[in-house]
Amino acid sequence: MPQERLTSQDILDRPSAVADLMDSQWAPCRYNCPVHADVRAYLEHIAQGQWRQAVDVIRRNLPFAAVCGRVCHHPCEANCRRRDVDSAVAIRELKRFVSELQGAAGATVHRPPRQDKAAVAIVGGGPAGLAAALELARWGYRPTVFERFTRAGGIPATAIPEYRLPRNVIAIDVEWILAHGVELVAGLAVGKDKTIEELRKDGFQAVLIATGLSSGRGLSLPGAPREGVLGALEFLTDLGMGKRPRLGRDVLVIGGGNVAVDAARSAVRLGSSRVRMMCLETREEMPAFEWEQREAQEEGIAFIHRRGPVEVATANGRITGVKARRVTRVFDENKRFDPRYDDGDIVDVPCETIIIAIGQSPDYGFLQGSALRVDSRGRLDYNPTTCQTSDPSVFACGEIVTPPGSVVEACASGQRAARAMDLYLSGKAIVLDDSLPPFIGAIPSETAGKVRKAVRQPVAAQPAETRRANLDEVDHNYAESAAQREARRCMSCGAGAEVLIDKCAACLTCLRVCPFDIPVVTDVARIDSDRCQSCGICIAECPANAIVSRSRESGWIIRRTVAALKNLDPAALRIVVYLCGHIASAAQWRGEEHLAQGAAEVYLPSLSALSTLDMLQAFDNGADVVLVVTPQDSAERYPQAVKRLRKRVSQARRLLKDIGLKKSRIQLFELTRPGRSAIQETLATAITDLRGGTVKPIGAVP
Amino acid sequence: MIVGERKPMDEILAMLEGHSRVLVLACGGCVTVCLSGGEKQADELAALLRLAARKKRRPLTVDVDCITRQCDREFTANLKCDPAGYDAVLSIACGVGVGFMSELYPATPFLPGLNTTFYGASTASGIWQEYCYGCGDCLLAWTGGVCPIARCSKNLVNGACGGTNNGKCEVSREMDCAWHLIYERLEAAGRLEELRKVRPPRDWRLDRSGGARRLTQEELTDEEVGK
Repeated sequence: MPQERLTSQDILDRPSAVADLMDSQWAPCRYNCPVHADVRAYLEHIAQGQWRQAVDVIRRNLPFAAVCGRVCHHPCEANCRRRDVDSAVAIRELKRFVSELQGAAGATVHRPPRQDKAAVAIVGGGPAGLAAALELARWGYRPTVFERFTRAGGIPATAIPEYRLPRNVIAIDVEWILAHGVELVAGLAVGKDKTIEELRKDGFQAVLIATGLSSGRGLSLPGAPREGVLGALEFLTDLGMGKRPRLGRDVLVIGGGNVAVDAARSAVRLGSSRVRMMCLETREEMPAFEWEQREAQEEGIAFIHRRGPVEVATANGRITGVKARRVTRVFDENKRFDPRYDDGDIVDVPCETIIIAIGQSPDYGFLQGSALRVDSRGRLDYNPTTCQTSDPSVFACGEIVTPPGSVVEACASGQRAARAMDLYLSGKAIVLDDSLPPFIGAIPSETAGKVRKAVRQPVAAQPAETRRANLDEVDHNYAESAAQREARRCMSCGAGAEVLIDKCAACLTCLRVCPFDIPVVTDVARIDSDRCQSCGICIAECPANAIVSRSRESGWIIRRTVAALKNLDPAALRIVVYLCGHIASAAQWRGEEHLAQGAAEVYLPSLSALSTLDMLQAFDNGADVVLVVTPQDSAERYPQAVKRLRKRVSQARRLLKDIGLKKSRIQLFELTRPGRSAIQETLATAITDLRGGTVKPIGAVP
Repeated sequence: MIVGERKPMDEILAMLEGHSRVLVLACGGCVTVCLSGGEKQADELAALLRLAARKKRRPLTVDVDCITRQCDREFTANLKCDPAGYDAVLSIACGVGVGFMSELYPATPFLPGLNTTFYGASTASGIWQEYCYGCGDCLLAWTGGVCPIARCSKNLVNGACGGTNNGKCEVSREMDCAWHLIYERLEAAGRLEELRKVRPPRDWRLDRSGGARRLTQEELTDEEVGK
């Protein structure tokens, strides 16, 4: 990346100049997220136990935070730079943890004081439609969502099995979205109960089609009877709407995608004794996610690869099996779907029920009574540049006009259409800027080798035997402590140090103290943001105050200290405790529980950034004693941080002694065991000694 | 570079006795590099001064400022705090900065927060070593790059004295004997013959004995040359 040339004048002119650099170059998790949620920021909030702030950051971009916490395909994790160190941060699990913990009420609703712009109709209450409705409501429009089912949420609410996505989780997102002033009309099918023309007569100035792929794609197999062949989407929707579809004991699911896996795993839960999946693809070619395949296998589902159905075998009108031929290839040289078969190799696959899961198709029922054009292949006429259909006031988004995707992709599509509608309704030309800032490249191996390893926190799952028996959810949520440990694995990519070139004296201190060997000093110090690990050691040591953090305002530690000191009795011995967040749990970060009575606790993500100056300024602001509690070096997230801290503590003690204050007014504790009780005992002993000893209050700050 | 070291706090506190508005002025030059007089050290010193005042229950206002160099007039334009608004300025530049600023702001006492110690180089992280004395008549060409003026306790120019002791100086066991170093360096380079050459006497007028020194680069002066 080209180096920024930031000066102290830039910050004086615009205080956000440093923080803005994070927006000029994204971490790959954010870049690759279809809605570009600020992953680093919300993981930082989770690490600090700031649950509401974390959810608010997620929901700024992603309305379906709770749903995506369960079912997202998480491209953020696939692109997490921590993969080059040990393994990706469990971003989806953390999103799940915090969005379900907070629920709908625990997330802030930013409803504009006036919603008096145009009324807009959204056809389809799935992720794309609701995401668009939310954006429009936030901008002061009056959106009404028409949903043909009796509940909003789309496929996640109707057809994703409950063992993967419980209904109460969808309700969190829907409730929060509707709280923004989004009207919901459920149980009304546009095209059947009301036409688009009628909507316009009702006063809606624009319409958005977001009906998705709501029909299962059929497969006509010779010999198939009426009974016993089910469409996967219909089967899953029936199940989702509370029905118990009848299945035989031996079920064959045809298809290799995620819906096929959902259908197969649901069949297991409905009691079928043998469930198999048959698909054209090999295991590697199958579109279903690897973890879905693995969990299906654990539940006893067998896979038949490289077979395509030819006809259904029956006896007495009942299905006895499927004849299937061998597949010689699935894709052509250009990776286009173009299967070829060997008709000389046909086997009988016995089964009693067949579930067809070979894809979904749009339901064009909404076109009834409208003048919207379709193309020669019967698809909705649609301009992807402006999101408009053949009628400029009718827009479209989601899977009806995009390739099939996941919930988060539908949200992104809905948000884009909302921007187009806003421009249209404001009388402006629809020019959508889809450009993105660049993202940080891969972490160089020499840096990755210096980052300390941290094991990904596992998620407990029900044993396969238990989960086969019911529709209960498969895996468990993180506990608070595990969530915080996991969030702290985030490497804060792109949130690190920045040099103020006018102040840098090229003294080489940063280069000498950086545990990752990142600074290079030429004319001035250069710190490559692609490699910086955001430990803050150089910031604490720089003699020129020439290094600032992109993610923390200058003086953040002393501001926290001053706030904590306000709670202390001015007449008593005023003790400030600096604690590394790694060794204290969420409740303490939130200030709900105190470790040491009568002491002001200041929690930091790591004590690597705590400088000599910070400790002196604590005294300067009224502290009589400073206690510093750090994990041992082996448990600290940054190498050399504890060594640096020791040196700074002893420097601060020398300086205190120079003005006639006892060295014991600053004490460092390196904990040999983790956990609250260890900290509590250490602090209790230290504080008792101090109160009973000769250390007296220095006196009030003049 | 010029190396300086913070004065003992007792001395600083005594200097500031009776002043209730103090500006600690850092220098972004050499003393920042040796971690004695940078903006961070000024902030630390300011916190200590306020704390000492708090201890004595004495009101004291301390502000901090820093300019690129205290030895050039133009940089004073970047001062954010006007020295005239203070009872005293505690400058943590080298003596050059303190002296020069005193001249620019005669109405405000500029007090030295550092002792200017030597011209040195950083030999390891956090360690600075004296390499030059500023004698005005450099003889490093024939001493293998080891300066006997800066590094011999007696500034000898004609070889080691009787106090050399297995490579160390009699003044301190920690200190290398400069002439021992010179001998070894030249021997290793095969240039021991250099020491046999007779050198003319040094011109000590170029050193401090000639009074305060001055450099004129005529091409840059505003005065007409040769008149």
